[in-house]
Amino acid sequence: MSTRLESWLTGPRLLTLGIVAAMAWSLSRVDWQQPVAHTGGGAAALKVLLALFPPDLAPDFLMICVVASWHTLAYAVAGMSLAVALGLPMGVLASGVLASTANGSRTRRRASMVAVRFALAAMRSVHELVWALLFVAAVGLSPMAAILAMAIPYAGILGRIYAELLQDVPPEPVAALKTTGASPLRVLLYGYFPMALPDLLSYTFYRLECGIRAAAIMSFVGIDGIGFQIELSLADLLFRQVWTLLIFLVALVVAVDWWSGRVRRSMAY
Amino acid sequence: MARIGTDSAGHKDGTRPRFSVLRVSVYAAALLIVVAWGFILLDGDSGFSDLFRERTWQNAGRFVANLAGAGSDQPSPFVQPTRWLDTGRLAMNTLAMSVLAMGIAGVGALVLLMPGARSVSDGTLGGTPSRAGTAVYVATRAFYTLTRAIPELVWAMLIVFFLSPGILPGALALGIHNLGIVGRLTSEVVENLDPAPARALRSAGASSPKVLLYGVFPQALPMFLTFLMYRWEVVIRTTVVVGFLNAGGLGREFRLRMSWFHYDDVGMLLVWYLLLVVAVDVLSAQLRRRVRWE
Repeated sequence: MSTRLESWLTGPRLLTLGIVAAMAWSLSRVDWQQPVAHTGGGAAALKVLLALFPPDLAPDFLMICVVASWHTLAYAVAGMSLAVALGLPMGVLASGVLASTANGSRTRRRASMVAVRFALAAMRSVHELVWALLFVAAVGLSPMAAILAMAIPYAGILGRIYAELLQDVPPEPVAALKTTGASPLRVLLYGYFPMALPDLLSYTFYRLECGIRAAAIMSFVGIDGIGFQIELSLADLLFRQVWTLLIFLVALVVAVDWWSGRVRRSMAY
Repeated sequence: MARIGTDSAGHKDGTRPRFSVLRVSVYAAALLIVVAWGFILLDGDSGFSDLFRERTWQNAGRFVANLAGAGSDQPSPFVQPTRWLDTGRLAMNTLAMSVLAMGIAGVGALVLLMPGARSVSDGTLGGTPSRAGTAVYVATRAFYTLTRAIPELVWAMLIVFFLSPGILPGALALGIHNLGIVGRLTSEVVENLDPAPARALRSAGASSPKVLLYGVFPQALPMFLTFLMYRWEVVIRTTVVVGFLNAGGLGREFRLRMSWFHYDDVGMLLVWYLLLVVAVDVLSAQLRRRVRWE
């Protein structure tokens, strides 16, 4: 292969061409034969927009919003805590820091690392709502099914990131600990964890914001929360209520985002 | 993976103040966990006790077997080539939807690249700071927060009200949500990049488009593409979910087959879904490496 062709293949031009081609292809898959909007879609859009002035602020409806927000928050927190409980041990196993480096265990250590990593990848490759639909079909509708459905992909993400963070811990203090004869568990507890803790906490708090959104859309399988109320209000064409609920959702996400930002900033060094 | 979204303005000396926020937050989080679990478990039909019943696990086992094609008197879809072709076409639609969504998010983020960066409106990149520029900056950031805070699925619920079903409304919903994420990240890249080239261009009399083209793009574009590729991996997983709402592709079929209890078909759709996810992960990793090599 000539160097000229090679530089072309690795250069930005091929990438640009690829992106343009991908866009053109995706546009060609859209069915342009049918009208883009529904008949009366524009009028409906206008009606929805005008419903913002003002949103529904009746006291009993606000109560519904508060309860729905609490449900969403509670499911998000429960799902996240379960995800951490599941993801942390798996992350430790996937990082390979727990295994002793004694002779002969090298291949076994590699094999267990690869197996856990594969499990984590499988858990996070399926979206939480797909998990939820599968759980509902398999074991029936219950809050626990939704929490589990959320915890599985989140544990997959957390476990992977935890493993990477543990591997990024500077090796010198760990080595010092090992030379004193500390067991792998002690090395983990007194070497790896204290050093990785700020990053572990940072990332967990960052994920909590995503967890709120995930919990909100668990309504799809019938779990109460903001998403469920939005669905109900939309079905009744009560757009003013939809706006109120959207405001609550945005406020909840922004509040959690602000909190996790504070926590992360307080640990930045 | 370094701390995401943190700035470098932390407490370098590591003295007291960094602990108070942290300590309060950890206690608050612990309290929140206890209260949330208490609330859910005390509710009675939380389904927690079902986890320890044998019947639950039998049902789950039967369901998994049904996914693999057991329990149906019809010939399994896995051995019918036409079924693979049909569902493959749906998978292509799902892929197209995710690409289109990234296109919408990418174009939107590029258009709002300059208005959304504080370093543009306050004159760090050359040019004069103006009140209008600040107002546009605040409005853009508020728009990002709003689009980011509302999940794709809620956007899709709203959009299917106006647009005909198909991959376009789904792509739009995904695109809007990801515009908020990619846009904010890219604006932060512009704020953090080296302002010297842009300033030099500006003082040499370059027009604003030229400053953007030669002073900002060369530095910001690799990171921008990296973010897009990262998000693409997330988006392909979510595309199926958005498809539940009549938006076409694998998701719509998935929902229909679920409600018809055609679990073997669901199993087949899941196989395509996983293939797509793995393919996009691999492709995105390759592309990201390519972008960074420049």
